[in-house]
Amino acid sequence: MKKKIAIVPSIIFLFVLSIFFYLLLIERDTSKLPSNLLNKNIPQFEAESLLKTETFISSNEFGGEIVLVNFFATWCQPCRDEHNYIRRFSNKKKIKIIGINYKDDSKKTINWLNNLGNPYSSIALDWNGKIAIEWGVYGIPETFVVNPDGIIKYRHVGPITNKVYNKINLLLEEIK
Amino acid sequence: MNIKKTFLVLLTFSLFQFFSHSSFTIEPDEILKDQKLELRARNISKNIRCMVCQNQSIDDSSAPLAKDLRLLIRDKILDGYNDKEVYTYLTDRYGDFILLKPPFKLSTLALWFLPFVFFLIGIFLVFFHNKKSKKKY
Repeated sequence: MKKKIAIVPSIIFLFVLSIFFYLLLIERDTSKLPSNLLNKNIPQFEAESLLKTETFISSNEFGGEIVLVNFFATWCQPCRDEHNYIRRFSNKKKIKIIGINYKDDSKKTINWLNNLGNPYSSIALDWNGKIAIEWGVYGIPETFVVNPDGIIKYRHVGPITNKVYNKINLLLEEIK
Repeated sequence: MNIKKTFLVLLTFSLFQFFSHSSFTIEPDEILKDQKLELRARNISKNIRCMVCQNQSIDDSSAPLAKDLRLLIRDKILDGYNDKEVYTYLTDRYGDFILLKPPFKLSTLALWFLPFVFFLIGIFLVFFHNKKSKKKY
């Protein structure tokens, strides 16, 4: 009887150990945090627009179609790396791309877009990083997929790679 | 220089480092004029994780996002938010991970109770081991 009781802690210990081992084995990047805004409405905000005179009002920009929201800056090298993929998304039908220019110099951004191409239908200027905080952003580039009802369905932290591009494409097909 | 002098110099240097630490992170333009409100902001900041460095509070971190969050907390306090409302505002956007101390919830039960469970298992094992060894002698 005593022997049987003594086995119980060992079983519990092995069970906990196997959970830790499983967490080590599965493919996960602990530096990438899940968004608390997933499946929630987009944050409402107003900001200055780049390239347009009228104010950027989020409630006018979202709804009715799939929107890709991309936080970027000219000083961010990974943003430059992912720019081609953002352009590829802009060639797709029924997808709108909104850029949030994070703590940047507008002149540099305009030059950057002239050189690399402008995939964004509109760009909001986030001078002080407050829009980024509203979206729970903690490091750019970050990209969000918003469905036609204005609900955030996906968030990617870091530059879009080929793997992520394919993943987002699958998601876009699902939402359509 | 004798050992006593060297010790005193090192002690002074260490104390200077120790007490000057916090004054380097918070910049003068961030500090609120009202001392009571500033104290509230500091206390909240000490419990908020810097999402960039992840193992530091925003009160200790010099990351730009930490500064933005410190300013935001002060803005919210000036807007009349109470401490709970400020925490809710931040966790709504960044999740519970932004709190340095995880909240007591159903999903964090294991985190809070497993140390006690392991402690009890330890006592249990030591107790049985001692009983066995007593029998031997």
